[in-house]
Amino acid sequence: MNLLRLFHAVVRTLTRNKVRAILMMAGVTIGIASLTILTSIGESTRRETMKRFKNMLGTFDTVIIRPGSSKNRGMVTLTNVVPSLKFDDATAIATQIPEVRQVAEIQNAFDIDVKYQDRSGTPAIFGVSSNWLELRGDEVAEGEFFSEDDARSMARVAILGAEAQKLLFPDEDSIGKTIRIGDVPFVVRGVMVARGAGPAGGSLDNLIFIPVTTASKRLFNRDFLTMLIAQLKDPTKGQVAIDQIQTLLRGRHHIAQGALDDFNLTNPGAVMAQVNQLGSTLRTLLLVVAILATGIGGIVIMSVTLIGVSERRKEIGVRRAVGASRNAILAQFLLEAVLLSFAGGMAGILIGVAGTQIVAQLQHLPFLLLPMAILAATMLSIVLGLLFGVYPAWKAAMTDPIDALRD
Amino acid sequence: MIAIDKISKTFSRDGASVTALRDACFNIAAGDFVVIRGVSGSGKSTLLNILGCLDSPTTGTYLLDGADVSHQSDAELSKVRSQKIGFIFQSFNLLPRTTAIENVELPMIYAGRAVSRSRAVQVLARVGLSHRERHFATELSGGEQQRVAIARSLINDPALILADEPTGNLDEAAGEAVMKILHGLNEEGRTIVLVTHDDAVAAHARRILLIRDGVLRESEVRA
Repeated sequence: MNLLRLFHAVVRTLTRNKVRAILMMAGVTIGIASLTILTSIGESTRRETMKRFKNMLGTFDTVIIRPGSSKNRGMVTLTNVVPSLKFDDATAIATQIPEVRQVAEIQNAFDIDVKYQDRSGTPAIFGVSSNWLELRGDEVAEGEFFSEDDARSMARVAILGAEAQKLLFPDEDSIGKTIRIGDVPFVVRGVMVARGAGPAGGSLDNLIFIPVTTASKRLFNRDFLTMLIAQLKDPTKGQVAIDQIQTLLRGRHHIAQGALDDFNLTNPGAVMAQVNQLGSTLRTLLLVVAILATGIGGIVIMSVTLIGVSERRKEIGVRRAVGASRNAILAQFLLEAVLLSFAGGMAGILIGVAGTQIVAQLQHLPFLLLPMAILAATMLSIVLGLLFGVYPAWKAAMTDPIDALRD
Repeated sequence: MIAIDKISKTFSRDGASVTALRDACFNIAAGDFVVIRGVSGSGKSTLLNILGCLDSPTTGTYLLDGADVSHQSDAELSKVRSQKIGFIFQSFNLLPRTTAIENVELPMIYAGRAVSRSRAVQVLARVGLSHRERHFATELSGGEQQRVAIARSLINDPALILADEPTGNLDEAAGEAVMKILHGLNEEGRTIVLVTHDDAVAAHARRILLIRDGVLRESEVRA
């Protein structure tokens, strides 16, 4: 048997029965299209979520220590936290916990007026230690971050977030200019690279960094911290570090046995793993639904092919009489099913790509195509054709040519 | 060409066995033109199916061109049909939604050799249908369809042509044209075995075999 010739003949059969062919393809097309959209959107949602968390946290190999019990959620500021976390705690954690590489101290507030000439606003004020950049991996776009010396000398220097820079200095250079935070003058030392959107979609760049020492002594006049970030030497040792820090802080804060902590500890790495896990469970579920939908497309192909086999008994008889073996008939009908399914799959991928683009635009997600997903969809459509084509093809091959010709 | 020795065919139907063909023995020489006659149910279709390698005998041997084809696998029988036998049916049996030329080409797909359009064109010209190459079966008259079917049976250059009531669905003129073509093929040296009820058709034969209740006997031999 001449395979290429058979292929031509099959294509001819299909193109001369266009309506039937299109109806048969439709199920697979819809299935594969939804599969393409779901996997692409699912993955770009996951990546976008990860990215936004990364924007916010900078790095996941940390333990975040906040004052107050764990019930106390939401954004902390100097005005709403219990004053339980002190500078000495930071030093103790940095020096006494072996798992910890370094600790960043943070004192932040959200309701401080900031002015430059006639411009003003209330960007968040973050007093941070000088190891902030190193710990977080953030970058400075212009100028430089403050140094350890600045921190020690409680220098009044400010590094602007990208939004704050735009707010105060829309059309001029900010480096070296003096702004007023509250009523205290600060010299702008640098501007940060924009971090982008946070998990809730809002900007993470409407803020100003100053040395935490300056913040504590010259601006807020508070000796407690709103947050500590302890970076781990080994990111997989999150729970070990949490236990060690908890023991240390409970001792330092003289918390009686059985009493609640006056601080809470989270490991962003673990939280992210959970977020990821949740996302992947959802994705798996959607994937199963889409594969089921595609499978129904396969069943459509099978049933229509089965009807075709009984309608085309005479054709089968004739082909057998002029020399087609059972295997040749099997190959023909199987090829028809596979070609249909494959063509349906290709149409599904095209529609899926277009659909992904639309959904991505509506959801403000980056447009993302996974080559693996497209490859998998292609393979799936071929496998589907084989799987659901083999029974009708076998039926066709087993048709008795004598009976078929007699009909 | 054909040597049939004590061929029987038994079907089991609803538990009872029915003998459609009983101890048939005959030879057909290459280049012969044989007509098989018999009333319906006499076993002539069974005989034709066996001769055409669509069916195998229950017992007995069938030598075609010296090769024993009595009990071969489906693949081997298919090969024999493809290379040595051309079928012509009463109801033409052209494929629907397929042009005349494509119908003629069909057997080449299964013959394991290159499909030659020019050969199909040639064979179609042979039956006088050059002007109908691109017509679909449904656009052709009965006589034309049967001529396409003859062209199809010839495309792989078979030694044996089996025709089952080839003129049964045709008017007299079309039937005559078909018989003329078959006659010409026989004169070229092709062996023809034809089943018919029609005396005028039977008149083309050199030999007539009669079959009755599954038993075959020689009826007449002409010079």
